[in-house]
Amino acid sequence: MSDMTTNDIQSVIVPPPADSLVLEVKKVNFFYGANQALHGVDLPVKRHAITALIGPSGCGKSTLLRILNRIYDLYPGQRADGQILFDGMDILSSKVDVTALRARVGMVFQKPTPFPMSIYDNVAFGVRLHGAKSSSEMDEIVEESLRRAALWDEVKDKLTKSGLGLSGGQQQRLCVARGIAVNPEILLLDEPASALDPISTAKLEDTLEELKRDYTIVIVTHNLQQAARLSDYTGFMYLGKMIEFGPTADLFVTPKVAKTGEYIGGRFG
Amino acid sequence: MRRSLEDPIFRYVAFSAATLLLVVLSGLIVSLAIGSWPALSKFGPAFLFSSNWDPANEVFGAAGPIVGTLLSSFLALAFALPIALGIAIFLTQFCPPAIAQPIAIMSELLAGIPSIVYGMWGLFVFAPWFSEHIQTPLSGLGGIFAGVPNGANIFTASVILAIMILPYMAAVFRELFRSIPPQVREAAFGMGATPLEAVTRVLIPYVKKGMVGATMLGFGRALGETMAVTFIIGNSHGFPTSLFSSGSTLASTIANEFAEAGVMHTSALLGLGLVLFLITFGVLAIARWLLSSQRY
Repeated sequence: MSDMTTNDIQSVIVPPPADSLVLEVKKVNFFYGANQALHGVDLPVKRHAITALIGPSGCGKSTLLRILNRIYDLYPGQRADGQILFDGMDILSSKVDVTALRARVGMVFQKPTPFPMSIYDNVAFGVRLHGAKSSSEMDEIVEESLRRAALWDEVKDKLTKSGLGLSGGQQQRLCVARGIAVNPEILLLDEPASALDPISTAKLEDTLEELKRDYTIVIVTHNLQQAARLSDYTGFMYLGKMIEFGPTADLFVTPKVAKTGEYIGGRFG
Repeated sequence: MRRSLEDPIFRYVAFSAATLLLVVLSGLIVSLAIGSWPALSKFGPAFLFSSNWDPANEVFGAAGPIVGTLLSSFLALAFALPIALGIAIFLTQFCPPAIAQPIAIMSELLAGIPSIVYGMWGLFVFAPWFSEHIQTPLSGLGGIFAGVPNGANIFTASVILAIMILPYMAAVFRELFRSIPPQVREAAFGMGATPLEAVTRVLIPYVKKGMVGATMLGFGRALGETMAVTFIIGNSHGFPTSLFSSGSTLASTIANEFAEAGVMHTSALLGLGLVLFLITFGVLAIARWLLSSQRY
């Protein structure tokens, strides 16, 4: 049925310049058991930019994000085919070392997921997994990561306290700090602000703005204003397909596909 | 108008039910205390610290059964804990869902077997096997392996106890692991953790307090288990001198001796009951406290 409603829509993809791409999703299909959730999705991701994925609930945007670090591997029965090029390798290949991949492609979830340990240990967690560091190096990494996540000033006096004692907004920035501490090339964010109040959301957005100088960010969001003000490129998904992709300003002001315009204009979704 | 009468009555009935429980509990303690008073007052601290339990001469020191109870329960816990943890981790993290359910049901079935069946199996099947294949070869080493090689000893009793508390602990551990939000697990793996790292560094710490509580509850069960232990522990009083020496527990001593006890002997056995009650109560209270203080 979904095919009937999107078959007649001609996707429009306006990719960033080819030499600026860090990752390229090509014709990817995804299945939850027998249910196909993604249909031939393309997504070019520009280096050191923020790419936003928007679309109504169930359109597959979170699913697409979860493919990029192979986190779906945790669930038997979920599988993807197609091609995702990242630094000369195909992420979907069975030969890929997923633990190494996940160190390079970090993820922040919808709800904050601090681990049951101190603030310091939360940030140091991934660094310790991927190689020993001296304690002075680790101190530097932790401070630097917390500064970049705009959390340092709020927690510098209680680094040994539990990460679970922070407010929701602080916990989410802690998760960002934990994610960037391992210095990933790409940071995936799955509706990171949906559980946060407006002030925490604004802080998180400032943080992402800062981070994009050094990291590539892909963010799934329900919040169209957030996508519009934050991102450089936007992909609009609908019923498991990438309907339109292009520079954010173009997509929001002059959408090339009627369906995109309808969604942005609030006529459905 | 309808409410004005129903509500107070309903509240009163509920209140009475709750009060009844308290009355029964305190009645139990008081009657145990009164019943054991002759023995406790006659022997004083020696009742707890002497291991001379001699019904023929009416001398009663309970240190042997007390140590036997604690030792067999600790050993049972040491055997059961890692296995229960392994079962729970396998079932919740690595096992295909199609197999997890049957395994979980089987482990719950184990919990439903009456303890006397475990006791018989222990005495007639496990003890002879253990005696022939493990105890006899090891007994020449002496030390903690010394003892009459008949298979009825503290160690085999602990193994039977471990088998009995294992399904219970595995079930609680499994529930704890299932209560971890999937996103926390994804976050651990999302950081590039291997399954071993994710389990040991994030998931186990996440349910640590609940695990301590569940372990204490398992310990409480082992402390009070009577029939299976009475079958296989050897029932000798006095301090156990090695892992393979026969011994007794508070519960097994009571079960064995009540039928032919005289006045002072009965009082001493009631004293054992009081001690067991207090130990179990303490363990359960600690478990409660740990479970309620789990933050997640």
